[in-house]
Amino acid sequence: MRIIRKRSRVIDVLLRVLPSVAIFALCLVAWELWVNIRDVPAYLYPSPSDIGRELRDEGLALAVDDLRWTMIEAVLGFLLGSAVALCTAVVFVHAKFLERVFFPWAIVLQTVPIVAVAPLLTIWFGFTLTPKVLIAALICFFPVLVNASKGLRSISSQAVELMSILSASKWSLFWRVRIPSSLPYIFAGLKVASTLSVIGAIVAEFTGADRGIGFVIIQASYRLDTRLMFAGIALSSAAGVVFFNIIGALERLALRWPDARLER
Amino acid sequence: MTSSGGIAIDGVSMQFNGSQGARALDGIDLRISAGEFVAIVGPSGCGKSTLLRIVGGLLEPTSGHVNVGGKTSSQARRDVEFGFVFQQPTLFPWLRVLGNVLLPDRVLGRRNPNNGPNSKDIARELLRDVGLEGFEDHYPAQISGGMQQRVALARALSYGPNILLMDEPFGALDEFTRDRLNLQLLEVCNKTGSTVLFVTHSIQEAIFLADRVVMLSPRPGRITRIAEVPFPKPRTLEIRYEPEFGALAGELRGLLEGDDDVELALNGP
Ligand SMILES: Nc1ncnc2c1ncn2[C@@H]1O[C@H](COP(=O)(O)OP(=O)(O)OP(=O)(O)O)[C@@H](O)[C@H]1O
Ligand SMILES: [Mg+2]
Repeated sequence: MRIIRKRSRVIDVLLRVLPSVAIFALCLVAWELWVNIRDVPAYLYPSPSDIGRELRDEGLALAVDDLRWTMIEAVLGFLLGSAVALCTAVVFVHAKFLERVFFPWAIVLQTVPIVAVAPLLTIWFGFTLTPKVLIAALICFFPVLVNASKGLRSISSQAVELMSILSASKWSLFWRVRIPSSLPYIFAGLKVASTLSVIGAIVAEFTGADRGIGFVIIQASYRLDTRLMFAGIALSSAAGVVFFNIIGALERLALRWPDARLER
Repeated sequence: MTSSGGIAIDGVSMQFNGSQGARALDGIDLRISAGEFVAIVGPSGCGKSTLLRIVGGLLEPTSGHVNVGGKTSSQARRDVEFGFVFQQPTLFPWLRVLGNVLLPDRVLGRRNPNNGPNSKDIARELLRDVGLEGFEDHYPAQISGGMQQRVALARALSYGPNILLMDEPFGALDEFTRDRLNLQLLEVCNKTGSTVLFVTHSIQEAIFLADRVVMLSPRPGRITRIAEVPFPKPRTLEIRYEPEFGALAGELRGLLEGDDDVELALNGP
């Protein structure tokens, strides 16, 4: 009985991912055919099978030597940016005045083009981890701040009244009501931030690094090595998808009540 | 002067949002003695919920004051004298049914007279009393609106408050369940000696439960009539078939109809 149910769950999952995998495969096939039929120069438009060979030969080395560093930067930046954003949101919710003063600057921070800030940070901090982590943190900050602020305010006035009837302290209201009701929003923000953090790390690597996927892609572009560029792109986006899904799994662990998750 | 559990409402008026805003209550005077059960009936929007909030110390009236056993209502609220059943169930979706009933215990800690190793048992017993045995581990989203309302009732009773403020707690229930809960509520009040302020749209329910029924006029709410209910307690459901019961219900209904036909048509008897 249990085995049957287990198997059907596996089939369920397969059926759910099948359409998106099929579309992806279809695109690869079309791309492969187009490259072969039109006979375009391979150094400009490598076919998927070329890229696949490149990944087979270089993939492991790329992952160990470069992707590892990119992801370390992305994850550290994600943790830093999200932590600062969460603290800021908590302060904003309890001090309206501070929010009025600082929120416009949070928007300004978000509109600053990070491609322009990245070289500056590289000048200041050199070819170290720091500028990459800071750029990744910068790009994670805003989505987490906006979602967390919204979540912390999402409690109904009746929930506040209920806690008030129980003569609950502000502290109790915060931990028992505000935090749980904001979790769905916070996770929605964290999921957006998780994918952005990888982009932030790569952009920072463009402006000065001696390792990392961004470094590999930039170097490959000088040599017109489009195969390696594609391999780098494929690896980093795969890593981004994995990171996103890890946050998604944490979300499922944390939000167990029905209809808790904002999107699925 | 009121003893513990008694409530004195003096000239309470409520005006929302400054002078142009909605006037919800106008010069309410009411004295409720300890252990008394008072039902409040009135057309929708006349200020019943507002009155309950003012008594419960959640809202400051524009004028007048409320005295609860010698304290202001916000003092009484800080001393956790009130149990409040809101018009909406107001359960926390991330807590299971049992967790919601235990919330006051968790928040109050040792301030809860029922606090102790058996507070879980007390919560389970309360859930059984309101007919929710077997639903302890459900989430609020998995039970019906009427069941949610009963969880909210169990939660309000869980810490034995002196004064129960109840805002249409049984509005979402079928007649049969409502009868059962009415009897249960009377039994609980008889046992604990709680003072109850009970808002309802049902004149039948008001008369069945209350020692006195207070009628409010359409907005702004004014007291149009305070009716003594002549039946002694404990009561049985049969009193509803006695001629005195019908006569009182008819009289009160006449008052409501005289107020506003449209409201009545919208809300039913
Ligand atoms: N927070 C508020 N701000 C402004 N006006 C309000 C507020 N709360 C209530 N009112 C107004 O006060 C009046 C009375 O509202 P209240 O909720 O007390 O009515 P009610 O008698 O409980 O109605 P119902 O039977 O429909 O629940 C309404 O006309 C409403 O518009
Ligand atoms: Mg109301």
